[in-house]
Amino acid sequence: MYTRRELLQQASAGFGYLAFAGLTQAADGNGKKQSVDNQAGETLNPLAAKEPHFPARAKRVIFLCMGGGPSHVDSFDYKPELLRDHGQPGRYGGRLLKSPWNFRQRGESGLWISDLFPEVSSMADDLTLIRSMHCDQPVHSGALTQMHTGTAQFIRPSFGAWSLYGLGTENSSLPGFVSLNPLPGGSANLGSAFLPAVYGGTQIGRATRGGGNFGVRNRGSDETVRDIRNKSMTRGQQRMQLDLIQSLNREKVLRDRYQPGVEGMIESFELAFKMQDAIPELMNVSDETQQTLSLYGIDGGPSEEFGKQCLLARRFAEAGVRFIEVSHGGWDQHTNLTVDHGTRAEACDRAIAGLLKDLKQRDMLSETLVIWGGEFGRTPSAQGVDGRNHNNKGYTTWMAGGGVKGGFSYGATDEHGYEAIEDKMHIHDWHATILHLLGLDHERLTYRYAGRDFRLTDVHGVVADKIIA
Amino acid sequence: MKLIALFSVFLASVAVIDRAVGDELSPEELTFFESKIRPVLIKECYGCHSKQSGNARGGLTLDTKERMEIGGTTGPAIAPGSIEDSLLFNAIAYQDFEMPPSGKLSDEVIADFRRWIEMGAPDPRSNPVETVQSSITQQQIADARSTFWAYQTPRETTVPIPEDQTWASNEIDQFIRAQQETQQLSPSQDATASETLRRLTFDLVGLPPTLEQIRFFEERWERDPQGAILHVVDRLLESKHFGERWGRHWLDVARYGESSGRAVNMTYPEAWRYRDYVIESFNDDKPFDRFVLEQLAGDLLPVKTDEQFSQNLIATTFLAIGSKNVNENNRVQFAADLVDEQIDATTRVFLGTSVACARCHDHKFDPIPQTDYYALAGIFQSTETFFGNPQSEYGSFSDATDKQKSTLLILPIDDPHPFARTYSVDELQGFREDMEDERRQMIASRTNGQAASKNSNRDRIAFLKRMSELSGRLASVDESGKPKTFCMGVQDSLEANDARLLVRGEIDQPAAEIPRGFPQVLTEQQPSFQGDSSGRLELARWIASSENPLTARVMVNRIWMHLFGAGIVTSMEDFGSTGQAPSHPALLDYLSIRFVQSGWSVKTLVREIVSSRAYRQSSAYRQDYHEVDPENQYLWRANARRLDAEAIRDAMLCVSGELKTEAPEASVVAMVGYTRVVGGQVIPSRGLVETLSKQASIFGDRFPGQGRPFIQQQSAFAGVRGMGQLRGAGRFRAAAEGRQVIEKITNLLSAEDETYRSVYLPVVRDAEPRSLEVFDFVDASVISGKRESSNTANQSLYLMNNEFVEARSIAFAARISAKGQTLSEQVDEAVLLAYGRRPTPSEKKLLIEFVREFSRSDSDESWDSAMPLLCQSLLASAEFLYLD
Repeated sequence: MYTRRELLQQASAGFGYLAFAGLTQAADGNGKKQSVDNQAGETLNPLAAKEPHFPARAKRVIFLCMGGGPSHVDSFDYKPELLRDHGQPGRYGGRLLKSPWNFRQRGESGLWISDLFPEVSSMADDLTLIRSMHCDQPVHSGALTQMHTGTAQFIRPSFGAWSLYGLGTENSSLPGFVSLNPLPGGSANLGSAFLPAVYGGTQIGRATRGGGNFGVRNRGSDETVRDIRNKSMTRGQQRMQLDLIQSLNREKVLRDRYQPGVEGMIESFELAFKMQDAIPELMNVSDETQQTLSLYGIDGGPSEEFGKQCLLARRFAEAGVRFIEVSHGGWDQHTNLTVDHGTRAEACDRAIAGLLKDLKQRDMLSETLVIWGGEFGRTPSAQGVDGRNHNNKGYTTWMAGGGVKGGFSYGATDEHGYEAIEDKMHIHDWHATILHLLGLDHERLTYRYAGRDFRLTDVHGVVADKIIA
Repeated sequence: MKLIALFSVFLASVAVIDRAVGDELSPEELTFFESKIRPVLIKECYGCHSKQSGNARGGLTLDTKERMEIGGTTGPAIAPGSIEDSLLFNAIAYQDFEMPPSGKLSDEVIADFRRWIEMGAPDPRSNPVETVQSSITQQQIADARSTFWAYQTPRETTVPIPEDQTWASNEIDQFIRAQQETQQLSPSQDATASETLRRLTFDLVGLPPTLEQIRFFEERWERDPQGAILHVVDRLLESKHFGERWGRHWLDVARYGESSGRAVNMTYPEAWRYRDYVIESFNDDKPFDRFVLEQLAGDLLPVKTDEQFSQNLIATTFLAIGSKNVNENNRVQFAADLVDEQIDATTRVFLGTSVACARCHDHKFDPIPQTDYYALAGIFQSTETFFGNPQSEYGSFSDATDKQKSTLLILPIDDPHPFARTYSVDELQGFREDMEDERRQMIASRTNGQAASKNSNRDRIAFLKRMSELSGRLASVDESGKPKTFCMGVQDSLEANDARLLVRGEIDQPAAEIPRGFPQVLTEQQPSFQGDSSGRLELARWIASSENPLTARVMVNRIWMHLFGAGIVTSMEDFGSTGQAPSHPALLDYLSIRFVQSGWSVKTLVREIVSSRAYRQSSAYRQDYHEVDPENQYLWRANARRLDAEAIRDAMLCVSGELKTEAPEASVVAMVGYTRVVGGQVIPSRGLVETLSKQASIFGDRFPGQGRPFIQQQSAFAGVRGMGQLRGAGRFRAAAEGRQVIEKITNLLSAEDETYRSVYLPVVRDAEPRSLEVFDFVDASVISGKRESSNTANQSLYLMNNEFVEARSIAFAARISAKGQTLSEQVDEAVLLAYGRRPTPSEKKLLIEFVREFSRSDSDESWDSAMPLLCQSLLASAEFLYLD
């Protein structure tokens, strides 16, 4: 990574940078990273990598966001009693519905996972299943917002934004928080709210309900990031133009002698210029081997689309992006559970397993926290003949890599899977744990706004130490 | 694990016993409930309506007595003693509702419920009424009231006489200079003429100086700088652009937005009236106390004319315009959240105090007990808020998304921008027939709905959507088809009631009633309210009073911030104990008193501030001072500021010579009408399609679907987001036409082709135009006293590649080359337009070299291709984007 100074020097032509070199001493000291607690300090580059509160287990996050509420009792939460009591009245009415999928013990750890996810099952020994999730919101939008920001009541920063605020980023050619094909209507889910805008997520590809193609968003163009491409100049011409802009800007910095805003602008222009190549280059997967592509299921099969997104997630991770979110919607099966849940799973199972395997073979899994989960789970009792309702009282998410145990099951729901009862993990606890794995203390990662120090976890959150390897 | 399971069983049983013992039910009542009612509720109802199952279908949970009485979307489930008002009974009797859906309960069970309700619905599952003990004592409140600076009325002070008698040009300067002297600091030299003029025009009207202004000002400045400033300031204050600039500042704090925001984002087609009201108010220099009164209680003020009545009513849009979760199932929860939003806006915007913090518990830091919140809540609960869509005699139709419906207020004036809303009597008759038609079809689809169950719900939603639109159209005109005029706003409810305190802010945990009133720490004298008055007028008068310790200070501080870049109190909405103390307390008091004495005149205060010497200091950096006072608290120089989003866009248009100075017709959102916005795009209504078809002459008579019934016409737009839900298989015959309309609809909210001032761009929450959003435009859902000023790569990409910027650059280049000047002259003029000054020698060298080099590389002998790029570089450069 370039330091701000190198960057300026590199981009300068006969630029009298040293005129204000003395001033910057205060800013980045003797080459040390800034501390995360230095909120108000003279942060010349708010995205510069920062030292965490304590040694981090994970350097970055890949969050596989499953919109709609995938059923835990059909996937990762094995309930033999549900099979036994099939057809009996449920605790809150309706009849209990056994899972259409068989559960088996997987890997050396013997974790019980259903046949809904055969490929992910093969990675069981790398997973920590969190079988005691719960949140406060029974409807999609509210629960999705709470999953991302901790609350559905107020507009708050996304946990991706908090992570970036806490740690900065390591690639000066790419944004630090990206969201691939975010679910529609959820701008708060990648927003920075009161945090400075620079910590907000960059949307890559359009919002789609089913997680479909990267496509039309702006005036019929196929841009994946707004204004990423210049339509009237060659790169060389644009570089000439940018050199002029930067020269004018440096004239100004020289004149003003100390102008952090303009210095930031000079950096932003260089990042933007580099992004124009870096983003399309990163999105161009033609340099991947056939073997890798098929690992992700990018071979014309059902997981082609999501496989591409998972592959991109790995590429972003490799490039040093701090927080990568990938969305896969359509899990809301009030009816037609057997077929539609099956289809949804088929469209992502291989891709997710491929991502885990690929990260592992590249030695990246240990420092990349992969998180899988929906905004809630589904009821053990049937809705209609072949459906399940929303269930926010108990559901399952999982994590892999990034300092969590492998082949481990944490927490439990009651005998049928209605409600979390053991080692309950509220969304606040989940957030606290994720930040902890990133080396951040959720009680110390604060931002002062409207006279108050705000936290991702508000006044809640307990780190689940048991899942940490 | 076993231990935990056992423990929770134990807890559960304790809870049951506790409930049974704790209530004053007779043993018979209790037995009746436990044997006849509770088992049925658990077995038949809890699956969809219980906190335990986590399901609250229709917003209804039946877990407690309170929850049953609160009910869900449609009303109370149980009204003790009244069969008619108990919707639960209605539902189990299969009247308007049919519950449980799996099959009607036995007559015996239904009779049990009837008896139980007639008994008064005795229910042991009642939340015990908790007494809430405040941790804030009366003494603490009284102490704060008499000691904390912000709660004292501003004090008259003598203007200090600084030792340095040469610098100050008015009283403001004397305060500032005197305080600098205590720190051994001295002011900076004056800014140059061009810096000063540029600062003035952007600060006062949000636009760069014109060539004429520059010429005039520089000439005058030579002779008499102060005279030049005053002359320009007076001109700028008279300009209608003043209101567009300062009105927008107010819209930031008023959280102005043209849609509900949140998950189901419904448009507010009448919001623009408030925007224009605000702009006019600043242009008219409406006394600020009057401005406050109108926004909080305009509906309750005496009036002489219909116009005045309308203006006052439009002003109350302030209370109606906040973001809302219209998807909220529970109407009681929705109402509580609405009131909360109104309390938050009112107290933070006008009083710089956050009372909404006390919704769930006492304020953590300020002496504002929870009871103060509910004293205000009573006032707003006794107020009705109008924010939705007018509905006809057919009523309103709720589909699956916007569950909380509301209508609008009718104004006794002609609508200046009725768009396509004039209908012939025949057309109206057609709508009624369509309506009947839809109704018949919906009923038909419902009766054979079992067979086609897969689509029935989707069909039902589509029917409701269309009926809602038809009803809205019928309601929008009078009998003769002439458009009525509507606005958002508030009215007092028919009766006024005190609110009950809600324990932890939970709607099913009501405690004692709290008399309506004002925050105790801000007033010794609690008001008394007449008859059925909500108390809102009294609240407005109290806030808009010179006796209120905060109102004038908060506004003065806002004005100061817009001119100096930082407030005297830097925490704009927090004048409480966690906020920042004022850097110049005496000056703040002095200005607040002057503000009130001037008749709360914003223009007078602006004039006074910009004619100070402090305002026209240079922003030049001084290292030794920076080390002592890095935040520039003592104003030893001017703060350099990045322009805000509107100023950047307007300046580009101004420099390129393309700015349309006339306001557009109403707003894009008014044209769009009441509809939902998804993914930054509107779901088009029939009305919108018609309006667009009239605009797009290309369609003319060939406009698809013309003359065909409503339903088929809409199906022409099956390709547009959301239109898929509409029935019918027809598509555009001519693909090109379809694409044009679709593109038009797709880009409506980004408004990228518009060249009017930014304040008039559509502000749909979460779908703000890129030109604004990219430069830290406000989050339209939150009260924002001060804009962010971030630096992002996103901004750079916008400046380098966005079509809007490119188009301005091309026009800019065409403008300066039109006069047939030499390259050197053209560069001079371009820089003069963009920076408000002539280029420095090194700038000029860079620019000319660029043109030469670029032309060479492009083998273009003339510099036609280079000039637009040069112009774009100027627009993208820091000097253009910053105000020194």
